[in-house]
Amino acid sequence: MKKKSLALLAISCSMAMLLGACGSSSSGGNSSAANDHTITAYLTEPNNPLVPGDTNETGGGKPIQLAFSGLIYFDAKGNSKNEVAQSITPNADASQYTIKLKPGWKFSDGSAVTAKTFTRAWSYVANVKNAQKCSSFFSTIKGYDDLQNKDRVKGDEQLSGLKVIDDQTFSVDMAKPDSTFLLRIGLPSFSPLPDAFYKDKKAFGEKPIGNGPYKVDKWDHNHSIKMVKNPYYKGGQTPQNNGITFKIYTTPDSAFADVQSGNLDVMDTIPDSAQKTFQKDSSVKPFNKPGSTIQMIDIPSYVEHFKTGTQEGTLRRRAISMAIDRKAIVDKVLGGLGKPARDFTSPLTPGFNANLKGVENIEYNPKKAKELWNQAEAISHDPNPFTISYNSDGGTKAVFDAIVNSVNNAIGSKVAQTTPIPTNQEFLKPIYDHTMTGAYRAGWAPDYPSAENYLFQNFASAAADGNGSNNEQYKNPKFDQFIDQAYTAKSVDAANKLYSQAQEILLEDLPGIPLYNKANVGVCSSKVKGYQMDWKSQPVYNELKK
Amino acid sequence: MGKYLLRRILQMIPVVLGTTLLVYALVFALPGDPVKAMFGDKPVNQAVAAQIRAEYNLDKPFIIQYLLFLKNALTLNFGNTFAGQPVIDEIGRAFPVTIKLGLMAFVFEALFGVAFGIVSGLKKGKWYDSVILIVSLLLISVPTFVTGFLGQYFIGVKWRILPVTAGNDPGFIDLLMPAMVLGSASMAYVIRLTRSEVSSNIAEDYVRTARAKGMSNRSVIVRHVLRNSMIPVVTYLGQDLGGLMGGAMISETIFNIHGIGFLTYQSILKGESNMVVSIVTLLTLIFVVCNLVVDMLYAALDPRIRYA
Repeated sequence: MKKKSLALLAISCSMAMLLGACGSSSSGGNSSAANDHTITAYLTEPNNPLVPGDTNETGGGKPIQLAFSGLIYFDAKGNSKNEVAQSITPNADASQYTIKLKPGWKFSDGSAVTAKTFTRAWSYVANVKNAQKCSSFFSTIKGYDDLQNKDRVKGDEQLSGLKVIDDQTFSVDMAKPDSTFLLRIGLPSFSPLPDAFYKDKKAFGEKPIGNGPYKVDKWDHNHSIKMVKNPYYKGGQTPQNNGITFKIYTTPDSAFADVQSGNLDVMDTIPDSAQKTFQKDSSVKPFNKPGSTIQMIDIPSYVEHFKTGTQEGTLRRRAISMAIDRKAIVDKVLGGLGKPARDFTSPLTPGFNANLKGVENIEYNPKKAKELWNQAEAISHDPNPFTISYNSDGGTKAVFDAIVNSVNNAIGSKVAQTTPIPTNQEFLKPIYDHTMTGAYRAGWAPDYPSAENYLFQNFASAAADGNGSNNEQYKNPKFDQFIDQAYTAKSVDAANKLYSQAQEILLEDLPGIPLYNKANVGVCSSKVKGYQMDWKSQPVYNELKK
Repeated sequence: MGKYLLRRILQMIPVVLGTTLLVYALVFALPGDPVKAMFGDKPVNQAVAAQIRAEYNLDKPFIIQYLLFLKNALTLNFGNTFAGQPVIDEIGRAFPVTIKLGLMAFVFEALFGVAFGIVSGLKKGKWYDSVILIVSLLLISVPTFVTGFLGQYFIGVKWRILPVTAGNDPGFIDLLMPAMVLGSASMAYVIRLTRSEVSSNIAEDYVRTARAKGMSNRSVIVRHVLRNSMIPVVTYLGQDLGGLMGGAMISETIFNIHGIGFLTYQSILKGESNMVVSIVTLLTLIFVVCNLVVDMLYAALDPRIRYA
């Protein structure tokens, strides 16, 4: 009897759980029809609280971009326009800037945007005690180094280079001349923060108070971030819709299926499974234009037989580069969604020149490749195959297999081989530790529209030794000199000329081998109007209409 | 009975402790540095990285990290994710969805699996037996992500019968397709298990005896054949309920369900040991409890089994 009642209990318990599960069912599905002028957009769950200085990935970057306005903003083409700034005046050698703000700007809680809301926010991000992931963007401001010793700072020290002159004016002293500061201030990490942030950072991270075109209404974790128009906004990016609701997805595949069936309005990526078909799919509107990211393979300067600046190393680097049929890879493997690289930046980068001196070193030329390789072999024989590592959790296997095939076809079988590494973290470790024995997958997505951002971070000596992204440890004083000169250049054009000259050195040395610029691709549902993607490969959200 | 239950519950303690230690060690042994990975492809500010490492105790040796985790876990503080969210909140959000999904898949699997299994076991060799066998073979051999994508494309996008993705706060209809996809392979196993049990039991001596004594066909089948056939099926189902909860990752990703499977997968990628260990501990508890319930059900099904 006892046994039976226990079994019954077990069964009735599980039945109750089931009924509970079924009972709470709602109609689900099409909820987007109710509010017509709200746009739903694809997003992944942000990795960090929604604080501008701590956000360095697109999941959090998109809502932050809409919720905050800095001194300037970039339009879709990457031209900078004044936003909160009335004027930004550099001195003669770009080592000091005086910034005047437009009057009357307010945060979405009604408090005023003043010079102090900028300087205090910048110092907060730069201060190591606050562990903000974007802190290194502030490294050229005077006083940054003093805030980097975690034993000596408490967290509220200010950057000594920032001086508040009055409510609407402040000045910035740079540690050394930096003309790129004019563009750098367009990064979301340079946004002002209201007093409310310092009072309750946790609450702020969940529902930030900003001065951008939209404000966060609700962040429902793993489901959605609802953004509505900010009534106090008075800048140049006026919303054409009533709001943006970001829907958070597990994979681009599920989001794409939702666009196809009309449950999602826009997405700014195309799942691998749909890359060949999305432009012919009648249920969606496709977008496909050249993009600003550059894909490369980097060969560290310390790799035996490939050392930069040596005759053998240069010959081998050029041979590998010329052995890669970039056009075939873009057409066959990427389904045409990209362009073979012509330099170390992208066609969207200001000052781009497709015909720099030395560009033939990154053009397909199998005969020359074999010749150069044999010359290198004559200098010193390399018994080991040339390896290219990549992380196999990133879906790039086909590209690297194609590269290796192309090299082996041009130079000789068994010259090159791939080394897939299971996870990205494992892949990055030897790169950061400078213990690579061959080439590896590399790439760059620009933070702001300038060649400097690509070139300095990836190739300058000052960005090597763990201080930047120059993980290949490339050090060439001639290259550094051009970059340094550009920092004090009088105009953007003059700086761009210097960047071109710097790139010609890279084309000689090939510290990395440029492969292709991925296209900006996306889709929107057929109801949406005004869909376009900006220089950063993100939709221009405020111009979307239904 | 009570003593037996108590003993089983006490056994859970070493099981849970052992699992947490093992899983913590495994996540710790994952190659790569989670803090550096937070910076993506962008330059790593070493001073900031050190600051973050100290905040999450990642600068301490393994055993200290583990003991700190255990100490906090005893006070029900499972720590924060790298995104600053309490682990317990994340699990609290993901778990109800997975329970719904898992139970729906379980009901689907149990109901249809047993029903089709009995039908085809009793009528071996009939045409519908062959159809059931072929379909179940198909479901076993085709991987979940194929059934998932096909179902999503045809039933969701093309014919628009069921929602394409589950999304926000999913209800019964939203979870119907994911649950069927999740439960389909197990259902096929249940069909085959039930079928072979029923068809072998029906040829046993005691069935012949029962019939000879003049029992009606119905009560022979329900009271003798089915009851005896259910023991291995119940064992399988019990094990599988835990499996459905932990193994829902593929159907969760396809149908955009932010449940436990997807959360575990992401946490492993990010190297979030607190999260992974907490989830695995929870799943361990579910497995242990399911097994206990199965053992209790044995007693109900087979009078010879007693617990003292």
